Amino acid sequence: MNLLLAVPFLVPLLGAALTLPMRRAPRTQQVVSALTLAIVVAAAAALVRRTADGDVITSQAGGWPAPLGITIAVDPLSALLLLVSSVVLLVVLLYAIGQDIAGLSRAMPMVFHPIYLVLTAGVCLSFIAGDLFNLFVGFEIMLTASYALITQAPTRARVRASMIYTMVSLTSSILFLTGIALVYALTGTVNLADIAVKLGDAPPPLRMVLALLFLVVFGIKAAIVPMHFWLPDSYPVAITRISAIFAALLTKVAVYAIIRTQTLLFSRDDVSGVLLWMAIATMIVGILGALVQDDINRIMSFALVSHIGFMLFGLGVGTVAGLAGAIVYLVHHIVVQASLFLVNGLIRQFVGHTSLRAIRGLMAVSPVLALLFFLPAMSLAGLPPMSGFVAKAALFTAGADAGGWLLYTGIAAGVATSLLTLMAIFRIWVRGFWGEPLEDMIEARDQLRSQGMSGGRLLMTSSTAAMVAIGLALAAAAGPLTDFAFTAAEDLLGGGAYIESVLTGGES
Amino acid sequence: MRPPQSGAVPGAGEERRPTPPEGWEAPRERWLSTVVSPAFGPRSVLLEVVVRLLIPSILVFSVFLLVSGHDRPGGGFAGGLVASMAFVLRYIAGGRHELAVGMPLKPNTLLAAGLLLAAVMAGLPLIGGAPLLDVFYRTFELPLFGEVKVASYLFFEAGVFLIVVGLVLSVVAALGARMEAEEEEARAGHRRRRRARSGGGER
Repeated sequence: MNLLLAVPFLVPLLGAALTLPMRRAPRTQQVVSALTLAIVVAAAAALVRRTADGDVITSQAGGWPAPLGITIAVDPLSALLLLVSSVVLLVVLLYAIGQDIAGLSRAMPMVFHPIYLVLTAGVCLSFIAGDLFNLFVGFEIMLTASYALITQAPTRARVRASMIYTMVSLTSSILFLTGIALVYALTGTVNLADIAVKLGDAPPPLRMVLALLFLVVFGIKAAIVPMHFWLPDSYPVAITRISAIFAALLTKVAVYAIIRTQTLLFSRDDVSGVLLWMAIATMIVGILGALVQDDINRIMSFALVSHIGFMLFGLGVGTVAGLAGAIVYLVHHIVVQASLFLVNGLIRQFVGHTSLRAIRGLMAVSPVLALLFFLPAMSLAGLPPMSGFVAKAALFTAGADAGGWLLYTGIAAGVATSLLTLMAIFRIWVRGFWGEPLEDMIEARDQLRSQGMSGGRLLMTSSTAAMVAIGLALAAAAGPLTDFAFTAAEDLLGGGAYIESVLTGGES
Repeated sequence: MRPPQSGAVPGAGEERRPTPPEGWEAPRERWLSTVVSPAFGPRSVLLEVVVRLLIPSILVFSVFLLVSGHDRPGGGFAGGLVASMAFVLRYIAGGRHELAVGMPLKPNTLLAAGLLLAAVMAGLPLIGGAPLLDVFYRTFELPLFGEVKVASYLFFEAGVFLIVVGLVLSVVAALGARMEAEEEEARAGHRRRRRARSGGGER
């Protein structure tokens, strides 16, 4: 059991160490990276199976008992997110490998592979960390890797974007560290389960201040309005593989941290009103931003901000059903954002940019591309057979069941946001996909046809298609997914299982 | 008349200096290089000599910190920082060529070796079913030191040590050495242009 818990972050670190010196053996490097992530996927799948009944698996590093040592704890939520993230990381890696084989990227593989694996380790560690400080360490590993990744294939725009990104992330990290210090001053521990027990005796105003502080810390990283301004300026500028991973995972890790801290450490009464207002603001402001953009990547980035609001809404509802809806939404959104950004990458590869001013008639030129864009886009808008619909329906039902004017306002905002998302997508569709294709796009297609389909291009397209297919599979597997999300949500709101498993050693 | 191009001398901009003796009279290794100078500012022989004398003590002290770190202040991180300071000093005194002589391994190799060592040592207890980072001890009887206790943790710390040294060196490489190389190139280009303008040179 100890072994299984260590795999998700230890194996990527080993992989990073192995791929780092492989400057002259790009094939071996690619194989080692892919293999590493495949192992992580397998371990995550095993963890999902073991936690399916709501068990919490813990391990104490170095054998030190819980409040003293470093705790690793995996509950159903962690396991589910581990699985989805590692699958997405693997598919995006395959896309990147395809791009490198086809020689279409200026990214340096020597830098990319090790740092990508370090990023994986950071993401995984954030999901399984059982104490606040290790959560911080996981975040920092992830963010430090992302600082390096965002400037891959550097241009003036990318360096500028990375400045904004780094400054904002560092600010939030400082606040995070301050928060940890305050919590330690108050409770004398950094172990999440132990804090949860001891914070219960703390005076409520103090607890509320801490809850708000952590909401701000993770809110900056999750790009919640009004702390979202940095995201549309930095994510879309990076190269495709990076922006896909950032959009899919980094903000979601922060959402995970919000869910974890707000459910485990703080009681619902502390901040739920604030959460709901923030959720509503995030949905509306984000999607209004998307409507006035002219670049597909920027539209998708604003849509990303906007849809973070849905997960917050689920958390703000505060019932098991609401939280389960948020978890389903989290999973759906990770996959859909990754597919959309990969498709945008294919468009950028094809046309040379993603600005809607100079794209027309993509559907006539490349029907496959149009289909690959259409499916996840409809899922993002939440049209019925797709996973987006399942997630939104779960959220709205939970909100309506709980009742109250604020929740109804939230539902109204959610419905409006979905419609506006649909509108934003139709703008892309009408302007970019319909109509007579432009001259240079036809030329690009003819040139591509004469070259034939190389192995690299095939891998790029097929990994994008695989990501889209995973999105469709989520809709097909909505039943088991929702059941699992309910198990996870019950664990989170019950709280007892996690605390008991960590503090009494559980089964280890 | 163009002075003989000193091909073996790394500092391409140092044409006016006397070239080192060639053939049998050339010393195989120079304790203080006569041809290499830092790109920025004048050369300080005092600094170079003092740094040379200091480096062994600094490195020994860093190893002391690494070994003593198990139950006293120190450890891989502190030791690594101290050791990398030795290399940074050498870089400040002699420039990037001196650094390359003093540290033949590339920063990336150090990083990879350190990460590998640390990750393997962290994960090794898992194979025996123990939790991550578990420590096991072994006591040896050494002739001069008497009883020596070695914890597996030492090797993990050694990995951290290597990572820190590699990281500092890559910072030096990125922020110092590369800028220095560019500066040298720019200066050499400037000198060539000036020569061409004054009508001198070989043409």
